[in-house]
Amino acid sequence: MFDFLEPLFFALFALGIIGAGAAVVLLRRITAQALLMAFTFACMAGMFLLLGAETIALFQVLIYVGAITILILFGVMFTKQEERAYGLFFQKQAPLATGLAVIVALPVVILAFSFKDPATPSARGSDLIPLATSLFTDYAFPFEVASVLLLAALVGAIVLVKRDEQ
Amino acid sequence: MTVPLGAYIAVSAVLFFLGAAGVLVRRNAVVILMCVELMLNASNLALVAFARRAGQLGAGSGLDQRGSVFVVFVFVIAAAEVAVGLAIILAAYRNRPTVNVDDIHEMRG
Repeated sequence: MFDFLEPLFFALFALGIIGAGAAVVLLRRITAQALLMAFTFACMAGMFLLLGAETIALFQVLIYVGAITILILFGVMFTKQEERAYGLFFQKQAPLATGLAVIVALPVVILAFSFKDPATPSARGSDLIPLATSLFTDYAFPFEVASVLLLAALVGAIVLVKRDEQ
Repeated sequence: MTVPLGAYIAVSAVLFFLGAAGVLVRRNAVVILMCVELMLNASNLALVAFARRAGQLGAGSGLDQRGSVFVVFVFVIAAAEVAVGLAIILAAYRNRPTVNVDDIHEMRG
């Protein structure tokens, strides 16, 4: 009865992702860009919900919409922003590059739309318990390596921005 | 009526392209960092979409866990990348007060 809801929400989220993503690339107002990036991430969380990945959507909201957007906004605050022209528009190689991009993209598009979806709809349920089980049994070692990487990034970031007291 | 896999992949490809174009075209280091995040997120969408398809084809549990685990690791990498990237931008800014990558073209301090 509510079969039309998934395509409807998909269209809304896709519009939000592509529109806000294009605005991030094209706009010149840095704070608006950062907030539109957060909006893109929020729409992406909706996409994850549509795909049945509730836990991933939660992580998306926590890490991307929360942490990364705030970090980027801090970066905006600490630096002086200035208007500058785009880098690479309308160069001589543009037609050649367009042709090459089309040649590369065409097989990808054909492949992407040649997938046949199975007829049976997937059973929906929480994906938290299978994800946690998988992460802490099969992928326990990569998980530990990832935590070491985060620690190294934390220490590295502190060392990089620390002022020399002289 | 469900949304086909190709539609998710198409959205992912468009967002990845937008991010790549932003990295190539913009000159503000903070904006470049934002565009890299967009590209990482686009790859996450493709991973989750294919994970759902693998789950449908496999045991029928909805979502293949390998894809989800990979997405979690991409989250970790993205968080580490943005932290270190902003630290590098701030360190370079202290040397020379600009965030324009055309003006930061030499490694000399």
